[in-house]
Amino acid sequence: MKRTLLALLTLLSALSLPAQNTTADTLQAKSRLLNMVVVTATRTPKLIMEVPVVTRVITEQDIKAADASSVQELLQTELPGIEFSYAMNQQVSLNMQGFGGNSVLFLVDGERLAGETLDNIDYSRLSLDAVQRIEIIKGAASSLYGSNAVGGVVNIITHTPEKPWSLNLGARTSSLGEGHYNGTLGIANGRWNSLSELQLKHADAVHLADTGDLRTIFAHRSFNAKEKVRFKASDRLVFTGRAGYFFRQREKSTEASDRYRDFSAGIKGDLDLGTESDLMMSYAFDQYDKSDYATASGLDVRNYSNVQHTFRSLFNHSFLSPSDTSSTLGTLTLGGDVMRDYLMSYQFTDGSHTQYTADAFAQWDWQPTSRLNIVAALRYDYYSEASASHLSPKINLLYRCSKTNLRASYANGFRAPTLKEMYMNFDMANIFIIYGNPDLRPEVSDNFNASVEWSHSHYNLTCMAFLNHVSNRITTFWNQERNGMLYSNMRPLNITGLDLSASARWDNGLGVRLSYIFSHESLTDGGMRASSTRPHSATLHIDYARQWSWGRTTLALNGRVLSAVTCDEYTSYSNPTQTEEITYPGYTLWRLTLGHRFDGGWALTVTVDNLFDYRPDYYYNNSPATIGRTLSVGLSLDVDQCFDDGKEK
Amino acid sequence: MKLKQLILLPALLALVSCDGLFGGLYDEPAENPFGFVQRDDDGRGGTLRIDATSYTRWTYIDLQHRHIDTANITLGQEAPPEWDFAIHHYDVKTHDGTAAESPFDNVDMAMELEGLVFVADADSQVVIDMSTMMEGYLGYTPSPVNPVLSRWLDVDLSTMPPIYTPSNKVYLLRLSDGTLVALQFTAYMDESLLKGIVTLRYRIINDQT
Repeated sequence: MKRTLLALLTLLSALSLPAQNTTADTLQAKSRLLNMVVVTATRTPKLIMEVPVVTRVITEQDIKAADASSVQELLQTELPGIEFSYAMNQQVSLNMQGFGGNSVLFLVDGERLAGETLDNIDYSRLSLDAVQRIEIIKGAASSLYGSNAVGGVVNIITHTPEKPWSLNLGARTSSLGEGHYNGTLGIANGRWNSLSELQLKHADAVHLADTGDLRTIFAHRSFNAKEKVRFKASDRLVFTGRAGYFFRQREKSTEASDRYRDFSAGIKGDLDLGTESDLMMSYAFDQYDKSDYATASGLDVRNYSNVQHTFRSLFNHSFLSPSDTSSTLGTLTLGGDVMRDYLMSYQFTDGSHTQYTADAFAQWDWQPTSRLNIVAALRYDYYSEASASHLSPKINLLYRCSKTNLRASYANGFRAPTLKEMYMNFDMANIFIIYGNPDLRPEVSDNFNASVEWSHSHYNLTCMAFLNHVSNRITTFWNQERNGMLYSNMRPLNITGLDLSASARWDNGLGVRLSYIFSHESLTDGGMRASSTRPHSATLHIDYARQWSWGRTTLALNGRVLSAVTCDEYTSYSNPTQTEEITYPGYTLWRLTLGHRFDGGWALTVTVDNLFDYRPDYYYNNSPATIGRTLSVGLSLDVDQCFDDGKEK
Repeated sequence: MKLKQLILLPALLALVSCDGLFGGLYDEPAENPFGFVQRDDDGRGGTLRIDATSYTRWTYIDLQHRHIDTANITLGQEAPPEWDFAIHHYDVKTHDGTAAESPFDNVDMAMELEGLVFVADADSQVVIDMSTMMEGYLGYTPSPVNPVLSRWLDVDLSTMPPIYTPSNKVYLLRLSDGTLVALQFTAYMDESLLKGIVTLRYRIINDQT
């Protein structure tokens, strides 16, 4: 492995001789970074260097360079401390620095996603084909986003077409029998623009081993169609409408398949009120269904449906500085949401439940001096079925020196008990019953964060320390009285850690980014080590780009290193004193991607995944589901560029 | 489209779709008539569907009188006086009979019996309590079981969810009076995938009564 790595680094060094146009590319990349506008941290547009919360952005270029086939793969490649593994019944499960799928809020253009399985949304709904950027905030963000943002927010932001028309067609296949076909059509015509996406994916079953927690990864296929239309009614008023349909089928056995469907729609109005004010109002509909399909009978019986209707409003007003009307003194943000959440589930014995939630929040973004930025927010949330209400405050500070940004923040996070956690009554194959608990208290987190960011010339260094104190975490415990598992609140726990990142991009086209996270979880009053969060994890990204007379070549090496983790696990569900120590081994995975974009819109990508041919000795649920080195090849065509070139000629 | 219509559209959508849309895409769960659900024209065969979802129940089948009865194990209920074979979840026992596994896959085809080995029931045990499974053991009770007939379905519990592999073979059951019956278990779950609903075809080959 060392020899292969050395050879790769030598290859990259050799390639990094002075090349055509790379200085211009690097300047362009730097300018892109400095002028990058992010919205997730404050719900108002801010330059990334001026935002008081460390925001990690994965750009469209990063997505292409990573050649990731899914959001899970992309996030794991780009960020340390994120691990997607399998839970029971091969359902995907997220761990982001000690927070699970129900504590990290995923948004698409600011909207939540309905439905969950074992506390995780259906990540395969998240297409990467028309993504402009992904903004990631680690740490509580409930003061702006409410429940579920206890551990962080991942906001996927899609493109808004600007060219009269653009059409991208893509196909990708791998030696594992995966296929991925997509088409994205963008149209911009006067007051209208439209973005249409179609995506088809399939994968064969993959046999990992004859023994182990994981043996065969089920074959699956999915279809995803989305439409987003934007209409500029006047210079001040813009409407955005969207609709989507998603279908996924998992071949669990020759007799039965699991089917997942989602129907989504929404409309949003953005009104510029003049005098430095704007107002946004929106309505979103999202329905996520699960059904069992019986191959022999052809019966497709729905056993789960989560339907969410959400109304939102957001108002911003900027106060101009009395001495200098070209600069703002601060921005006031006011907002509120109302949601109806309906859940019908096979895990209920009484059919369905409905919950209404309402919230209101205010944020003051204050710029007392040119160097100092203070953002404070307070949000009130109410949940009808849980009879829960919560106040979530936050305060963020940013102090800017010439090359250094100092940030510090406190944020409160919370997660209300879900309908599932309150009303579940599910017989686990005659083994035990899982009972919901209507008396659950909301999960609460206090997140403290301090960071230093230094940027100079080609280099950027960020060091962040964090502490999360989590109270009332909701999980299942054996309940002797009811002789089953019962949703209950946990004792408080602390998650502390250090997040280091260093990146450099030189004029010769070479870029390097190294990120490392140390994370430690402990119950405040001692107790068993229940966490399977890996204490150390790191990612390394090296890329090189070179412009030729016949196109542009990029070479990227991405590596992940995850340490082993030792934790205590129950050996008896009914006797909490019986535990055993289990060590899940560490591993490292590397991926090499070679891409070439030809003049005329064609692009070819070849990726070798699991470069060093790693295979786990035993497949635990949190082992990487790999059978060794694999090869994938992708071809993409920007049809509009063919015509653009024709015009130029 | 006017501005008012654009604003009213979401309200209208919310009203008509409170609890969701497109219910017509899905089927209703299968209805499960139990017992002798089908009878061949000549009266010598048919189809049986048994509710074997419970681990604490034996279902006794009397083919000659076309009668089905159940007995709860944990309540100590006795078997009925007349029965030919019985099913407990996926276990099978006979009433002093013997059984052989044939290479055939259809009860209606002509069968050559030469070379088949008929095996009597053996003392064994059946699961009556799954609730201790996560602790590494199951609750059993002693019971005779026919080892050949019980091979109709292999259940691999070493992984979750379990892997079910039906043999799809025809079994020959020789009753205590010498009557020969061909049995083929065709399903271990219903059409909506509810496990423990056992469907089987039977055909009386050689009636000694």
